[in-house]
Amino acid sequence: MIIDITAQGGFGGITAAAMKKTIDVDQQPRQMQQELCDAFEPRELQRLTRTPCPDCADRLTYRITVTEGQENPQVFTLREDQLPPEMLDLIDQM
Amino acid sequence: MCLSLGCSSPHNPLNCIVPPHMLRVMALRGDDKTARMARSLLKQNAALRDERAEHVSPPPPAQDGGTFAPHAVSPAEGLCCPDRRIHDGDGKAALPGRLVRAEGDDATGDADVDLAYDGAGQVFSLFADEYGRNSLDGAGMPLIATVRHRRNYNNAFWNGDQMAYGTGDGEVFRTFLELSVIGHEMAHGVIQHSGGLIYENQSGALNESIADVFGALSLQRSLGQQIHDADWLVGRGILGPGINGVALRSMKAPGTAYADDLLGQDPQPWHMDHFVTTTEDNGGVHINSGIPNHAFYLFCNYIGGKSWELPGQVWYRALQQLNNPMASFQQWADQTMDAVTAIAGRGTIEAVLLRRAWKLVGIAI
Repeated sequence: MIIDITAQGGFGGITAAAMKKTIDVDQQPRQMQQELCDAFEPRELQRLTRTPCPDCADRLTYRITVTEGQENPQVFTLREDQLPPEMLDLIDQM
Repeated sequence: MCLSLGCSSPHNPLNCIVPPHMLRVMALRGDDKTARMARSLLKQNAALRDERAEHVSPPPPAQDGGTFAPHAVSPAEGLCCPDRRIHDGDGKAALPGRLVRAEGDDATGDADVDLAYDGAGQVFSLFADEYGRNSLDGAGMPLIATVRHRRNYNNAFWNGDQMAYGTGDGEVFRTFLELSVIGHEMAHGVIQHSGGLIYENQSGALNESIADVFGALSLQRSLGQQIHDADWLVGRGILGPGINGVALRSMKAPGTAYADDLLGQDPQPWHMDHFVTTTEDNGGVHINSGIPNHAFYLFCNYIGGKSWELPGQVWYRALQQLNNPMASFQQWADQTMDAVTAIAGRGTIEAVLLRRAWKLVGIAI
């Protein structure tokens, strides 16, 4: 599984300041693999897109692309406040 | 019934009766239950739109500010002191984190913590002493902030309840604990509790601009600066050491705060002729805010003296009286004109100069 994450927005609104990460889950240590698979499971991401998203200023918007094997990539757009803190910590670790 | 919208049964009649723009205001202004309901219906609306090849356009936004219940806060009596609570996020995302300095505690010696504490006090003082407002909600709410939010986090934000500041990654940003930034984030709280401005397109850019204005006023007042002595920069010194730029935004000269190989050119326009239409950044809220920012700067420059006095009073009164979460730049300009008329009088030099300031950025009132 390949996970691509880009972010935009925030206080500065500067694209270059935003994070851009690509991770090949299969290349990670076993424990990390499990955490990533659980957190970025497409059904879980789909569920998060349905969580309430209040009108909060200066938050980041994440675009998460998950590619599993030969399947078509699945793209999810999520506001920072839709992601649980544990998932944000995981993104920071990646 | 609302068969014309093709709603499947069973459905919530509100989903069809209440137009999306009204739901968005309810999501912004309603109590917890109402806001949850409105957000849920907005999600359902979005899903319905996706399912239909032809979708019904929402009615145009209300043009009359009187459509919405006013949220203006009356000057508080007996307001006194802030209730600051600074937390350490320890590089994690969970908020608010570990309480490290509460109101009245001695300085910690931790620069980030003490800057957040002192800055919150300066901003509280601006709104309390100059405009009679008791904290961000006008009712004495605690000033909760988290420093060291997440790891190498290039952002600061207001989340509806509190402020959070990243450390920056040391490359693009070196810090976010600078008074104009602190004032900016706290002003988002004031805007939220003054009826709110929906965070996209022109109303979102107004939200950003008003936050910049009160951020700049916080800084200038803390320094005791006259208008002509101020640099009118937002976020001076927060860019990384290798970045070719002085700040994040310039109210005096939008579009000139930085020009860097990595960041590109500061994209802010100063005139409506250069208004940027984009789907990014919530419709360019951090870009087009340059236009009303510059109008405020011009007004101050014409008036002279101290920005937080008459100009700040005009902007604050306009915010309290606006009562239109989807306000356009034009509607905001009209509101500031009403405010200056109420404060300084009709046909006064202040009113003439405000009209001139708006005209110079391409907005006729």
